[in-house]
Amino acid sequence: MKKHSAALGVLVGGAIALAACGGTSKSSDVGTTTTVGSASDSGHVLAFAEETGGVSATNEGIVEGGTLNILDYNSGASNLDPQRIYTGADLALLGSTVLRTLTSYKMAPGKDGTSLVADLATDTGTASADAKTWTFTLRDGITFEDGSPITCADIQYGVSRTWAHDVTADDGPLYATQYLDVPEDYPGPFTATAEQEAAFSKGVECRDPKTIVFHLKLSVSDFNYTVSLLAFGPVPKAADTGDKYTLRPMSSGPFKIETYDEGKALVMVRNDKWSQASDPVRTPHLDRIVWHFGLAEAIIDERMIADQGDDQAAITYAGLASQSLQTVFSGDQYADRRTDGYNGFVSYTIMNLKTVNCLAIRKAIWLAIDREAIRTAVGGPFTGTFASGFINPRLAVDFAEATLPEGLNADGTANTEAAKALMAQAKDDPKCASAYKLATETGLRFDHGASEAWTKVISIWIDSLKAVGIKLIDNPIEPKDLFAAFSSNPGDMMRGGWAPDWNNASTVIPPLFIKDGGSAYGNFWDDPDYPGFVERVNAALVEVDRAKQASMWKALNQWLVDQVWSIPGSYTRAQFLVGSKVRNAYNWYPCGWYAVGNIGLAA
Amino acid sequence: MLYFILRRAVFAVVLLLAVSLCTYVLFSALPSDPAALTCGKNCTTEVIERNRVRLGYDKPILEQYGLFMEGIVKGRTYGPGEAAVHCPAPALGYSFKRHQCVTALISRSLPVTISVSVGAFVLWMLLGVGLGVLAALKRGRWQDRVATGFSVIGISLPTFFVALLAVLIFTVWWPVLDFPSYTGILANPWKWAKALVLPWSTLAVVSASTYVRMTRNGVIEVMSEEFVRLGLAKGVRRPVLIVKYVLRAALVPIVTIAGLDFAALLGGAVITESVFNLPGVGKLAIEAVVDSDLPVLVATTLVAAAFIVLANAVVDVCYGFLDPRVREG
Amino acid sequence: MTDTPLLRVSDLCVSFRTPDGVVRAVDSVSFDVHAGETVGIVGESGSGKSVTANALMRLNFGAQVSTTGSILLDGVDLGSLSEEEMRLRRGRDIAMVFQDPLSALNPFYSVGDQVAEAYRVHHPKARRPEVRDVVVESLGRVGIPEPIKRMQSFPHEFSGGMRQRIVIAMALVNSPRLLIADEPTTALDVTVQAQILELIQRIQQESGTAVLLITHDLGVIAETTERVIVMYGGRVVEEASVESVFEQPTHPYTLGLLGSVRSLDLAGRGSLRAIPGSPPSLIHLPTGCAFRPRCRFELGEGSPCGTTVPTLSVAGHSRSACHLDVTERERLIAGVDG
Repeated sequence: MKKHSAALGVLVGGAIALAACGGTSKSSDVGTTTTVGSASDSGHVLAFAEETGGVSATNEGIVEGGTLNILDYNSGASNLDPQRIYTGADLALLGSTVLRTLTSYKMAPGKDGTSLVADLATDTGTASADAKTWTFTLRDGITFEDGSPITCADIQYGVSRTWAHDVTADDGPLYATQYLDVPEDYPGPFTATAEQEAAFSKGVECRDPKTIVFHLKLSVSDFNYTVSLLAFGPVPKAADTGDKYTLRPMSSGPFKIETYDEGKALVMVRNDKWSQASDPVRTPHLDRIVWHFGLAEAIIDERMIADQGDDQAAITYAGLASQSLQTVFSGDQYADRRTDGYNGFVSYTIMNLKTVNCLAIRKAIWLAIDREAIRTAVGGPFTGTFASGFINPRLAVDFAEATLPEGLNADGTANTEAAKALMAQAKDDPKCASAYKLATETGLRFDHGASEAWTKVISIWIDSLKAVGIKLIDNPIEPKDLFAAFSSNPGDMMRGGWAPDWNNASTVIPPLFIKDGGSAYGNFWDDPDYPGFVERVNAALVEVDRAKQASMWKALNQWLVDQVWSIPGSYTRAQFLVGSKVRNAYNWYPCGWYAVGNIGLAA
Repeated sequence: MLYFILRRAVFAVVLLLAVSLCTYVLFSALPSDPAALTCGKNCTTEVIERNRVRLGYDKPILEQYGLFMEGIVKGRTYGPGEAAVHCPAPALGYSFKRHQCVTALISRSLPVTISVSVGAFVLWMLLGVGLGVLAALKRGRWQDRVATGFSVIGISLPTFFVALLAVLIFTVWWPVLDFPSYTGILANPWKWAKALVLPWSTLAVVSASTYVRMTRNGVIEVMSEEFVRLGLAKGVRRPVLIVKYVLRAALVPIVTIAGLDFAALLGGAVITESVFNLPGVGKLAIEAVVDSDLPVLVATTLVAAAFIVLANAVVDVCYGFLDPRVREG
Repeated sequence: MTDTPLLRVSDLCVSFRTPDGVVRAVDSVSFDVHAGETVGIVGESGSGKSVTANALMRLNFGAQVSTTGSILLDGVDLGSLSEEEMRLRRGRDIAMVFQDPLSALNPFYSVGDQVAEAYRVHHPKARRPEVRDVVVESLGRVGIPEPIKRMQSFPHEFSGGMRQRIVIAMALVNSPRLLIADEPTTALDVTVQAQILELIQRIQQESGTAVLLITHDLGVIAETTERVIVMYGGRVVEEASVESVFEQPTHPYTLGLLGSVRSLDLAGRGSLRAIPGSPPSLIHLPTGCAFRPRCRFELGEGSPCGTTVPTLSVAGHSRSACHLDVTERERLIAGVDG
């Protein structure tokens, strides 16, 4: 259940969303939306007005047909194999065009798009009372691109491929192996014996060709969200080409892959075997989608700004580079083509509760850091907004602006006075003695990924804390070794980032704060309040009433903010520019990119 | 003569084997763990260990090398059970990042690189040698100054700068050409040439400059040789004198250097191919660096080295043809 | 010998403009060569003899060169010809043999090709069999063994002597009226030298070509030439028949030259007497007589030796450029160990 951002949590514009898709059926407020730079009451973090793309996000003037171009600087698609796809952009692209799943999200802009809907299944699944058994019924009329019907066996086969580590290389999400009641030694369908296959079929059961039953090892109240991941999608056994399936998967959706000239372009055309009647989720308009690879990064932005010829019907895989933001966001010229929204990541600084076991000091650190200066150093407001918690605003239902500690400046500047006061408080508190000594004399070791961006900002960190008497020891670590280091040799402060795997805070709070949750490092389990916290989290995890669950997550988020077990950093943002003819292109909240299959073109 | 060629050929093969072993060992000796470089979002120690076995990095280096060499001769199978993939000989590896046999990747990229290299080579030789000869013949006059000036500018400008500028000017700001992309020559010769005009020109501008200087200096030197004067004394006409006497002598060293430069280009003009979106060997190599795709990296390194070794051998043999004084026996 | 000389050089001056100054390589040089004659030009390095030779074929060119005076070949002023007209005469009416045959031959073509080229340039319509015959015959004439086989060989495959023969063959293939040999034996062994000189003589007798032989070697002069022109500092200082020059030199420089040659007749007697001092810088020639700084007979301070350039005047059987009274000269020269 691990997913991290090895880079600095504040990502410069251009990052690709790594979130999976998730959501709820109820919409709710994202919070106060005011433009960046304006002040608000102390304690309220500023959200900002997301630019949603103007005309380009609407259906205005849309005509049927046309070819959409996707401009990408990567050398190719990372994966097209449903069991191996894990980036938000790929999930959005493939999920809206070629690969259908049991459940999906409504393809609509804003909070509307976080509603879970039925895709290949007839409804969003039925859970047993303990949420350990989930049953789905497949629709009528669902077929692969060759006309063959999609049956339970295909879903069973698809799911089983996640266990074939030799072939999938663990590129995709591993929830199937973590949740499903399948023997540990199941090696995947390519090398399994008949007995092993039989054991597998008990965990992923086909009652009849149209009914699939998942038997879980534990209670998962939002498993119907988990199966929205493409990794639970169908694969016809006869068409499986192993490692090569990722170059040419079988389509179940309105588009199919015509050619994939690796390194050059991938062309999708309409799948004439797909019927609108069997698919309530997708409304395709386009005839053709061409995904161009290998373009020079510097050129892509220039082309989108120039908006000539075929580029008017183009979108970009990656966001705008920071040097292009000035041009695109000054004035209104590009207002109908540009978006500026959250990309799903939250950055934070994990506090080691074993060594920094003093709330006052942790609060002092938060107040003392000049967050505004740091943000400016890495690229300014376009890179993100100051986070008020750990749940990203795109988790629309679970998100609420938390009440922040007294004294935390809304504009992100340091509040040195208040921090000093907290430190003075800590000094007098005998329980804080060892932590105080550590902070002021020995120094707090700050572990983070080594990068050019960090060399720019680390001095701001050090100086901000120095001003309140705290000594900070810089410890940059090679990004690929980062999380190994966090687990084996945790520092006093550790910088990380996270994006949820689906649109439920169950993919945020447990992984980050529960022992062995996936990305929990701060020795939180040493805190006396930990057992109580665990109980509350477990209760939320089995709560089947979504609304109730959401309020539990909100409360837990607030509690974590109050305890400062981790200091929230930023909700990072990304900016995109589309061609002037593009329509119906909006930030699909579950995935953080466009539901490409539904995009259309104006005349 | 035959003996000489044979000897050079054998030496070239031995050299290639040595290069392949060195490359392999070098890549294996990298400080970073190759297995760790391959994992995606799930990057636990478990996953890394699984990848290590899957990719064969758990075997000792020499065994890996042995399997690699065997693959070149016999072909090799990768992957488990029903999902196994077979790469026919000569198998240079399997790219798990791109899910292709490396040999297939390279043989697909080679025509592109060859297209770029040959065109650029012809252009830069014509430009470089032509301007160099002009500068030498009109020594001290304005033609010489212009040619030398051009050469200085060309040498000073980095390739990526020229390339990016060319793309921006001719395809974005003043779009007279289509966005760079590659079409095979057999598919559409006109489109093929049109797409390559910019890359050829960029490489020509950058590379010709060295040749302008070399040719100019070489020609000036040869022009003061006695045999040229004798030719004049025989009554040979000036154009004939320049070609048969001066150029014939001056171009010998230049052609040999050009041969080596051309071979280097065949290993992949990384910057040019990347900026102009030409899926050649150079682009393949740089993408392999970014993706940490070791099998592709090893293979492209070997291919580039092979071209250089081959070119050296060819140039050695050719030198005998070009300069009678060097011939043995 | 006929009355009108084959070659008449009058007041030839060649100067080069260099960054250090103007080099007056050849200053008011005049001489004649008659048809069939063998004339030698002798002098030290820097005396201007090679530049004179090159000037005859108009091989000195460039923006820095200035050539004045007249060069009449068969009555035609070579200086007045266009480049194309001059080109047609090179290799056909006048031909040249260079000093170092290894660097004079084009290393990239076979000797057969090069001799053929010399022929074809002036016989553009000649057909291959005819050219081939000419080449074989030329090579044979200069003494190249197995010419048919060896015409395909390259210059570096021959010995020094052979190479020079080939150069001579190339020069003579079109039967020129005048052959200029610029130090033809300097780069060769002594034994080979004799062979080459003998070859030149033989060919000259057979074909009646006039030969202008340029050398610094008095032995060569003695053996091959009929008349001698002595040059010093870019000027002609003495001109006479070879016998006169050797028996009765009328210029102090010539005397010095002879004195520095050890005659075999004077077995064991005396020592080689070098001329004191060194040749003048052609950029900064002394005023007056160029030889004055080294002349033992110099007339001294205030005399014309230091102010006026002496002109050629008759002195006995020769002509020389010296301010000394003729009789005075004869007496002084005879008085010196001769």
